[in-house]
Amino acid sequence: MTADRAPDTAPVLDVRDLSVRFRMRGGNDIAAVSGARFSVAPGECLALVGESGCGKSVLASALLGLLPANAATTGSAVLGGDTDLLTAGERTLARTVRGRRIGLVPQSPAAHLTPVRTVRAQLEEALRELTGVRGSDLPKAALAAAARASFPEGHLDRYPHELSGGLAQRAATALALIGDAPLLLADEPTTGLDRDLVERTVDELRRHTDTGRALLIITHDLAAAERVADRVAVMYAGRIVEIADAEDFFQAPGPRHPYARGLLAALPERDFAPIPGMPPELGALPEGCAFAARCGHADDRCTAERPAFRADLACHHAPTGRTHPLKEAADA
Amino acid sequence: MLELTRITAGYDRRDPVVREVSLSVAAGEAVGLLGPSGCGKSTLARVAALLHRPDAGTMTLDGAVVRGWRHRAPREQRTAVGVVFQQPRLSADPRIGLRELIAQPLRATGRRREVPERVAELARLVGLSDELLERRPHAVSDGQLQRACLARALVLRPRLLICDEMTAMLDASTTAALVAVVERYRAESGAALLAVGHDRVLLERWCDRTVRWGEHHAEHAPTG
Amino acid sequence: MADTAIALPGRTARRVRVTTSAVIVVAVGLAVLVVPPLTQLDQQAVDLANKLVPPSLAHPFGTDDVGRDLLLRCVYGLRVSLLVGLVAALTATVVGTAIGALAGALGGWADRIVMRVVDALSSIPHLLLGIFIVAMFRPGVWPVIISVALTHWISTARIVRAEVLSLRSRPFIDAAVSGGASRTRIVVRHLLPGVLPQAGLAAVLMVPHAMWHESALSFLGLGLPAHQASLGNLVQSARGSLLAGDWWPTLFPGLFLIIPTLALAGLAGAWRDRINPRRKSELML
Repeated sequence: MTADRAPDTAPVLDVRDLSVRFRMRGGNDIAAVSGARFSVAPGECLALVGESGCGKSVLASALLGLLPANAATTGSAVLGGDTDLLTAGERTLARTVRGRRIGLVPQSPAAHLTPVRTVRAQLEEALRELTGVRGSDLPKAALAAAARASFPEGHLDRYPHELSGGLAQRAATALALIGDAPLLLADEPTTGLDRDLVERTVDELRRHTDTGRALLIITHDLAAAERVADRVAVMYAGRIVEIADAEDFFQAPGPRHPYARGLLAALPERDFAPIPGMPPELGALPEGCAFAARCGHADDRCTAERPAFRADLACHHAPTGRTHPLKEAADA
Repeated sequence: MLELTRITAGYDRRDPVVREVSLSVAAGEAVGLLGPSGCGKSTLARVAALLHRPDAGTMTLDGAVVRGWRHRAPREQRTAVGVVFQQPRLSADPRIGLRELIAQPLRATGRRREVPERVAELARLVGLSDELLERRPHAVSDGQLQRACLARALVLRPRLLICDEMTAMLDASTTAALVAVVERYRAESGAALLAVGHDRVLLERWCDRTVRWGEHHAEHAPTG
Repeated sequence: MADTAIALPGRTARRVRVTTSAVIVVAVGLAVLVVPPLTQLDQQAVDLANKLVPPSLAHPFGTDDVGRDLLLRCVYGLRVSLLVGLVAALTATVVGTAIGALAGALGGWADRIVMRVVDALSSIPHLLLGIFIVAMFRPGVWPVIISVALTHWISTARIVRAEVLSLRSRPFIDAAVSGGASRTRIVVRHLLPGVLPQAGLAAVLMVPHAMWHESALSFLGLGLPAHQASLGNLVQSARGSLLAGDWWPTLFPGLFLIIPTLALAGLAGAWRDRINPRRKSELML
């Protein structure tokens, strides 16, 4: 498993060394994202997991060109092999990318939907805007769009506040799917939902992945990630510290990075034991490994130098003796 | 400790969210109340925390029948129940720093002399550094802010703690850390717990027993 | 980012506007505070030999129909108008904040009664109501202040009540109740600090408005007594000379009313943008 996918499936999204810095008043910068490198292939789901404030939402905003003016980005994020999302202008992003090439499944669907218009009206508007369907074809197209996200026909004339959390989520998903975008980006789509609703939501997202779309799901819910993802990227203090095959990660042999191991062990169905301490401030990252202060394996090297991201892992203590074939161990 | 009998409550008398619900928590017991979102369990938690007057039903706290809610409840009764909400952002006055946030209940009850010692003690318990205590809510993460909100709920040493979806917004490690803080406080103080949530795995791991929303209609007699 | 390029000209324009406003407000403040005590000149000094002299070096704004220096009259007029505006705006804000906060914090029937009164008052044109109030008193500064204050607390009360209502339903108020806080403590420590910036802004925005009201009342002859040089009085007494083609006794007091009030409004607008930013946070973590 490496960031570079097999050549037969060209990645839908290829992110290389993406960094986002916020210039703050007073001159100190905040390194919200540092050197993120990953790719998502068609039909594949990558789950980006990490706790709140680790930079994963900033990363999503960077991909959509929605960062505030005091943010500076470096690196590249190439969509479909031809458009760099970081350098494409707002016009390009608004006219050809958002909705058309990247479908956004929002965090709080109830807030994402326009409160004063019915679901049907919003679906039809999106259809007009994104697909050019006009006039008498619209009602049929709206029904089809609703059906794709399993949104019940009988609820189409309701307003967002009349929908349950699950139905609002489906309505938002239906909107995200209208543009037939090859990449779906789901930012915390399951926050605050009940377990069975979480499972239904991610199962539906999975279904759309299985029809050939790529899905990047950003979440702090490890159970949801386990259910939906092919691969998992773990983010800590603005860096991706591990990318792994979901099955390897959640079952045997388990995560390789000590932070990821701690995160899994903290689950109530596992040890339910917290990782000691708290993550460092993104404005004052330590010289060495950002996790060293909380890590049981930390030694002098960890506090002195930042581990490079090699073989999908950023740790000085890569467990070489285990079943992970470290293809690129030679360059270490 | 807490007994709710045939409670009906809501925001519109004609259409109550909670209908004839009964629930009891024995002294020192940890009860998990499990239910889907929007089912009314948060409203019931607000009734139990003396924050929302029910339309019908009776509630006893420590053997005393509750006669008034919010400011109509005697201060001793209100402060015997600590409460932590789902969204730390909304639960913290944005103008007040974390140290003051934790100290507020002490000041409100005229115990300002205990502030330095008690705040330091709780900050240690929930793992907030001196530097973090100086910040205002907008400058800390959700997890850090929820730690401060938990400290605030514990500062008056409540005999009953109500956690309404306390960890729904948080990652696994912070969840485990906050639950560990609650459990340490309960082990030392013998306080009871009502944890409201939708995560079955979490509540079953955390609590002595869990009640599913809808099942507690049958539960009329106090148990445990 | 793309929008930086678009945002820049707007930002520069705003900076120019704010700086200009600030300079004017400071200059006006200095003129009004410093000129009268420093100069021994009598604004009431009548000089019938030099009546209705056009602007000249000796009289930069010219003189009025009894030969009084108009520059001096304008400075004194602005002083009176500003004072009336400030005191009226402050009174209106204090009254509005108190009533709005009370209605919002108490809720229930108290809120309903207050809001019915507010609705009833807003249904009457406020200039008409203001005229009615001044007409009940003998002309003077205080009737004008009372009239303006009593007709202008309503919008502040509405804003403050809405703000208190939205704050009141936040869980942090629940947390304070649960932490043993009394009603008074909740209002003083949690609700009022939350609405004060909005109320303060409303007060500053109201100063120019109140000045215009004073001038309007004085112009109609219902405001300050004729001998007291307020800007409205100056414009009013210059009406006759305007018909005779003498423009300066009307123009300069008019400018003295328009420019400082626009500058004040400009500064208040900048302040409003600061406390109600369109983007809540520069950092979206």
